[in-house]
Amino acid sequence: MTITRRDLLVGAAAVTAGAAVSLPCLMPRYHFVRRPRLSHVAILHVDEYSERIEEILFRGLQLFHIDVRGRVVVLKPNLVDYIPGQAINTHPLLVMAAAECFRRLGARGIVVAEGPGHQRDTQLVLLESSYHQRLRERQIRFVDLNRDELVRTSLRASYTDLTHLYLPRTVLEADFLVSMPKVKAHHWSGVTLSMKNMFGVVPGSKYGWPKNILHWRGIQESILDICATVPVNFVIADAILAMEGNGPLNGTPRPLCSLVLSDDPVAADATCAKLMGFDPDRITHIREASKFLGNSSDECIEHRGETLRKPQTPFQVVPEFEFLRAA
Amino acid sequence: MNDIRAELAAILLNRQLPCGGWAALSCSSQPVLEPTALSFLALGSEFNPAARNRARQFLLDSQNLNGSWPAFLGDDQEGSWVTSLVLIALRDIVEDTPVRLRGFAWLSDSVGKESNWVWKWKFRTTDRHVQFDPDKFGWPWLPDTNSWVVPTASAILAIRGLPCTCGIETITSRLQLGAEMLLDRVCPGGGWNAGNGVVYGVPLVPHPDDTAMALLALTLQTQEPAVRISIEWLERAAPVLVAPWSLAWSILALAAHGRSVSPLVDTLLHLPELDQIEDTSTLALVLLAFDSARGLAAFGVSA
Repeated sequence: MTITRRDLLVGAAAVTAGAAVSLPCLMPRYHFVRRPRLSHVAILHVDEYSERIEEILFRGLQLFHIDVRGRVVVLKPNLVDYIPGQAINTHPLLVMAAAECFRRLGARGIVVAEGPGHQRDTQLVLLESSYHQRLRERQIRFVDLNRDELVRTSLRASYTDLTHLYLPRTVLEADFLVSMPKVKAHHWSGVTLSMKNMFGVVPGSKYGWPKNILHWRGIQESILDICATVPVNFVIADAILAMEGNGPLNGTPRPLCSLVLSDDPVAADATCAKLMGFDPDRITHIREASKFLGNSSDECIEHRGETLRKPQTPFQVVPEFEFLRAA
Repeated sequence: MNDIRAELAAILLNRQLPCGGWAALSCSSQPVLEPTALSFLALGSEFNPAARNRARQFLLDSQNLNGSWPAFLGDDQEGSWVTSLVLIALRDIVEDTPVRLRGFAWLSDSVGKESNWVWKWKFRTTDRHVQFDPDKFGWPWLPDTNSWVVPTASAILAIRGLPCTCGIETITSRLQLGAEMLLDRVCPGGGWNAGNGVVYGVPLVPHPDDTAMALLALTLQTQEPAVRISIEWLERAAPVLVAPWSLAWSILALAAHGRSVSPLVDTLLHLPELDQIEDTSTLALVLLAFDSARGLAAFGVSA
């Protein structure tokens, strides 16, 4: 085996990268500040997935000043794969309820759009997770973001050393983009919430299944670059039945009986993290995003729904993320 | 059968773009290489020679300077896994041999990032959550990333269409190593997920399409236990599939391993709304699966 000088440099970089992972902090690499003065969050109590969600959600949305009249709303759920009995995906009843609510609020069009990260057969995921039939019944258009038309897009932050990504036209041209994550612990990123959910806009047809380049460039870093580049207008997080442990696929279902709504993805994720029993400041991408994309501190978040209650027992996580648990 | 096949072929032809390529989705006009290569394979010469020639010219014109092919027209020039699919598509065209050889040269240099000794060391020591042998590597989706099942299976199928080593010294060993990588990454109960069989100690659930592509690439390894249990897994999974992409790949893979696929073809034939399939690659693959002998020949696989 020949060890070249380049290999040594790569090795040194790997050791440095490893150290950066164990000390979760990043150098600021944003070029603008989009953080609002005040963000709004509503936690809504929902016992179970049922047709009642639509009314609860509609009342929740009225707590915000949302104007989608005449606009095309793109709903971006979290559809990764389908494993029977696992709480992997944003529940279809919630997505259908959101579509109906935005129609009632005057949206010109509703599109559900996702690019599953593990499963190439998007239609199989849609069929098995019962999205297909429900979308059809409600005449809602679905766009496979893994195969949508791509537009070269310069990144608006530089946490990764990627200068650009090819991103789907449907997302870039959305009038109003709603991130609809499934609240889960995640074995590589600690949590997967509304910002991590945006990995799904990175197209598999260009970057593969999974989108491995984002792993190599740093998951936390990639989340920041993507969310800086593709602004999320609103969040509806599915924490009715969440997932703890070895997420995003093989964790354990954990009921939180909550929907989290917010006009700020950083505030939404900070709130979800607290609902999971985590300290949001210990989650690298939330802490960093709170410097330029949104708010995570209590004084900058106005709660309009139910009171935020931390769980008696924090969510289980893989050992590498035990440090996320709030003191 | 012939009626629906002719109807779907007509739809596929109708979707061909003026440049000769195909878009990924019926509503799109951006030429993409995967659906173009699969449509080229599916249409064969009997459907429309003129359309096929335009597609061939599109494939030739879109080759990158480094010998690879981009994922779509307008992509960066670094190359992508679809290089393998294009090489399969152009397999029987003798006059395109020089073009293909440049593609094979690129393919022989394309390696999963875990093949570098630094990352091998990392995956052996500090990062053991994903259970695999980093000495056994294949091909990535795009440069500077890990090996995954679909690009590796596609590369193996492409290289098998090369009549000789043609001056590319590493090609034989890469073929062997690629097969070993697939065997190493099989799920514990058979079948393949996207790239690994076990993560954080938990066996992953196989995907029918990934499994089928791996099995197509491993038709010379039928005695391997991993191949046998994967065929058995696919035989159990395929009859309940209702998605045409996965079912079509399953038909091809099971036919390649000598299994009877008539009931599966019948199921595919009766899936609802085949004529409304938005995804062009799926439409092409359904056409290939309807006549599995022809479909396998298109991929250079003999049953």
